[in-house]
Amino acid sequence: MYAFDIERPTTVAEAVAALKDEDAQALSGGQTLIPTLKQRLASPSKLVSLSGIAETKGVSADGGTVTVGGGTTHAAVAAGASAYPALAALAGGIGDPAVRNRGTIGGSVANNDPAACYPAAVLGSGATVVTNAREIAADDYFQGMFTTALDEGEIITAVKFPVPEKAAYIKFEQPASRFALVGVFVAKYADGVRVAVTGASEEGVFRWTEAEAALSGNFSAGALDGLSVSADGMISDLHGTGAYRAHLVAVLTKRAVAAAG
Amino acid sequence: MSVSKPHPHDSAPLHVTGAARYIDDIPLPANTLHLAFGLAEIAHGRISALDLGAVRSAPGVVMVLEAKDLPGDCDCSPSNHDEPLLSGAHVQYLGQPVFLVVATSHLAARKAARLAKVDYQPRDAILTIEEALAADSRFEDGPRIWERGEAGEAIDTAPHRLEGRIEMGGQEHFYLEGHAAIALPQDGGDMVVHSSTQHPTEVQHKVAHALHLPMSAVRVETRRMGGGFGGKESQGNALAISCAVVARMTGKPVKMRYDRDDDFMITGKRHDFRIDYTVGYDDDGRILGLEFQHFTRCGWAQDLSLPVADRAMLHADNAYWLPHIRIESHRLRTNTQSATAYRGFGGPQGMLGIERVLDHVAHAVGRDPLQVRTANYYAPASDAAPAVQTTPYGQPVQDFILHDLTAKLAAQCNYAERRKAVAEWNAANPLIKRGLALTPVKFGISFTLTHLNQAGALVHVYQDGSVRVNHGGTEMGQGLFQKVAQVAAARFGLPLEAIQITATDTAKVPNTSATAASSGSDLNGMAVKAACDTIRDRIAGFLADQAQCAIAEVQFADGMVSVAGQSMPFAEAAKRAYEGRVSLSSTGFYKTPHVAWDRIAGQGRPFLYFAYGAACSEVVIDTLTGENRILRTDILHDAGASLNPALDIGQVEGGFVQGAGWLTTEELVWDRAGRLRTHAPSTYKIPACSDRPPVFNVSLWDAPNREDTIYRSKAVGEPPFMHGISVLMALSDAIAACGGLYPALNAPATPERILTTLDQVRHV
Ligand SMILES: Cc1cc2nc3c(=O)[nH]c(=O)nc-3n(C[C@H](O)[C@H](O)[C@H](O)COP(=O)(O)OP(=O)(O)OC[C@H]3O[C@@H](n4cnc5c(N)ncnc54)[C@H](O)[C@@H]3O)c2cc1C
Repeated sequence: MYAFDIERPTTVAEAVAALKDEDAQALSGGQTLIPTLKQRLASPSKLVSLSGIAETKGVSADGGTVTVGGGTTHAAVAAGASAYPALAALAGGIGDPAVRNRGTIGGSVANNDPAACYPAAVLGSGATVVTNAREIAADDYFQGMFTTALDEGEIITAVKFPVPEKAAYIKFEQPASRFALVGVFVAKYADGVRVAVTGASEEGVFRWTEAEAALSGNFSAGALDGLSVSADGMISDLHGTGAYRAHLVAVLTKRAVAAAG
Repeated sequence: MSVSKPHPHDSAPLHVTGAARYIDDIPLPANTLHLAFGLAEIAHGRISALDLGAVRSAPGVVMVLEAKDLPGDCDCSPSNHDEPLLSGAHVQYLGQPVFLVVATSHLAARKAARLAKVDYQPRDAILTIEEALAADSRFEDGPRIWERGEAGEAIDTAPHRLEGRIEMGGQEHFYLEGHAAIALPQDGGDMVVHSSTQHPTEVQHKVAHALHLPMSAVRVETRRMGGGFGGKESQGNALAISCAVVARMTGKPVKMRYDRDDDFMITGKRHDFRIDYTVGYDDDGRILGLEFQHFTRCGWAQDLSLPVADRAMLHADNAYWLPHIRIESHRLRTNTQSATAYRGFGGPQGMLGIERVLDHVAHAVGRDPLQVRTANYYAPASDAAPAVQTTPYGQPVQDFILHDLTAKLAAQCNYAERRKAVAEWNAANPLIKRGLALTPVKFGISFTLTHLNQAGALVHVYQDGSVRVNHGGTEMGQGLFQKVAQVAAARFGLPLEAIQITATDTAKVPNTSATAASSGSDLNGMAVKAACDTIRDRIAGFLADQAQCAIAEVQFADGMVSVAGQSMPFAEAAKRAYEGRVSLSSTGFYKTPHVAWDRIAGQGRPFLYFAYGAACSEVVIDTLTGENRILRTDILHDAGASLNPALDIGQVEGGFVQGAGWLTTEELVWDRAGRLRTHAPSTYKIPACSDRPPVFNVSLWDAPNREDTIYRSKAVGEPPFMHGISVLMALSDAIAACGGLYPALNAPATPERILTTLDQVRHV
């Protein structure tokens, strides 16, 4: 790790101001950023800690929408998002207790790791990413692995999830790290079904539109019979081949539909 | 008596409170220096330019050593003198130490080590078994071949034959405590070394060699390790030598410990193997002729690979009478970490080979694999000459208890009923399949290098009656010290608390063998017994003399010494003996009887006896993904007349879980550049406590050893590891429920590998 300065603003406005420095970077739970700094894959001269900003913490439910503050930890979502059980369950299955007590939704969604869980929930729910500057629809937000629509210095202050009729997230864990080898989030809304897949594609989280079409007419695992995704463009690494991941996408989507009930 | 009782580990309270001292907990003297290696970034080639300027000028750096700065090659090898401490220009694996940073702190040394600029001229690296065979890159001139009878002819004339192959991965030791050493320079160039080693004498020998000192000038101490599993038999040499060399150069204390990632990248692991087989058998699945070809990647240096590969051959029979057998063993040299000792020392790999054959044959003849296994068992234990069968290497199998043991386990775990239940479940459930397997273990006990089968001890009785015990064995969590203390307490008739356990120390007991080959209690228990008996007999002789009675009338029991009917506390007896000028200190020595072995011919009696056991595992797989789980495991294990059933059951449980981990989740992955990609717990999965079977019944087959071992107990360190084989066979059994073809499942059986095998079985 290289040396850096740290600032601890207490409001979003102060944080945004502090991030105006060219070399500054936001620090939330540090569960991704700190290891990155340790491996010297990033070398910001200044870290702006978001963990002292009260206004970005907490979960609230209102009129069919669950809003999660950008600085809310996975553990707090697991405990507090009872209005959206699939989301609470997803948060409760991230990493281990230490990761869940530090890591935040803002950090996860900003980072957009191709094996992370939250991007599947955000995309699968058609959620809205709220920043200090604007609101971004999930479909516009994710732009390939580790890439998002966020501008330099833009802070995620909240994510707004429309609560579906039914939903479930199924994760096939890479046993050592417990990241998703493949994870599928399925959500059924009055106007259709959304299926978001994480862990599998070299493009990061994506919507499996054929499955969405099939499920929108008939929300049952059987509706997916015969559907599959191509292994082209799937991640092949030490934990699994692209073909295996493609196979898992189909299996896990069925499981998610079954689990959603 | 203190033996045969389930005393907890002597350090258990210290372990759980964090008060047990490991090397890294030893308070350091002022001005201690710290070391870190700079590691090679290519698997094979030459270093054309090494620029260490930035390393030298980094904060806290005191000096930086290259190979040419060392006092000689500082060889680290336990066998072949082929492991220079630093690579020099010739790089032989990715992760090989190239230079050594000496700094004022551990962190400063590690940070500086990354600043080197190295130019390489890479050469083609030999990474796989196939590449090594193609290049004829191997240790020894050619394959080792042992045979009995006419395997080829027996196969040709057998009613049936089949061929197959199993590939099994290596395994990282993942001792919780990484490697560490401290060197403390002494008067006149002498050196004291604290090392997390299973083999203090080896460290003493290698440090003395590096410093050009006689062994007598080097003292090595080891209080305990946080796990060893064979990974600390030879792999600690590099750290100890580095510390000693720098301590000699600077006159300062020096410490080194590996970061976990470095430990993965530098040190050797279990040997991975490919085993090819051709077997001839009859309608009942009885094996008539068998040919094995073992191929193993030994890595860049010889280390202990020859005896490891030998032991794989020595367990190619496991529990089975194989009248005609030929075993060919290829020990291949590759540009990877130098594979080393790991619990079982090749035995598990050889045993998995024959267990696969039995399973394959059972599938071919359509019988329950347990039936085929028992049909091939050696004849039951018997001293009647015609009944005694011999192993392929000519050792009579005189203590074969597996018929009874298997029958008892099968009854205890309801094997027959559960076999039916599994079949019914599988018939009713198209997606989730269950599998069941009961596999035996017969494991040879003794070092195959015969001269290692010796041990020494040093016991002192003080004038207040307290007793201090020292021996050559090392404690790595297995409970050796407690077992040996139990022996000492029993010999003096004292309560266990009266025995002081002490660190292993080459200045107290010289010329020791590694604590390895499961032989720690067998060897050191006997040596301590001999020392205690010498002192006890001296005290008895003195007291008998005083009381004018026979020595036999002096009894030691319950903390008391009775002399011709009159009783006194042991302390009083010790005081009297001291005042009577009786020596209350003695060494003890033991050498294993009867063993003799010719490894080139593959003939003799390498083992004093065999340890036995059997395990039955039931698993479940998801046929859509290959996900799997162990549902239940029952183990019946032979520890002879157990010295300590609590510790022994702990070893059986831990061994099984570690063995199951080897064959399921623990996957080492090297990329095409020869870089080990799994070098941390984030990528390499060892079983956790929560991965043990939810139903896990372990019991001991409590019957005295046929051989005259310490209180007729049996060694228990390695044999239970191989109970993990039952899990792989159960997984294969579950897959077999999905199609007609034999599921040739390789290890580790990750979900993806299970799914691939399922596809092969289904698409006939
Ligand atoms: C052992 C382990 C296991 C894990 N397992 C999982 C898993 O199973 N599933 C999973 O999804 N994740 C997993 N993670 C990742 C974890 O969820 C991280 O916490 C998360 O990805 C990052 O959140 P953070 O708050 O720690 O962000 P940080 O590490 O602090 O920051 C990450 C990045 O986001 C930026 N950032 C942070 N907050 C904001 C914000 N509000 N607005 C804009 N940018 C911001 C930072 O500048 C940085 O670039 C695991 C992590 C570990 C260490």
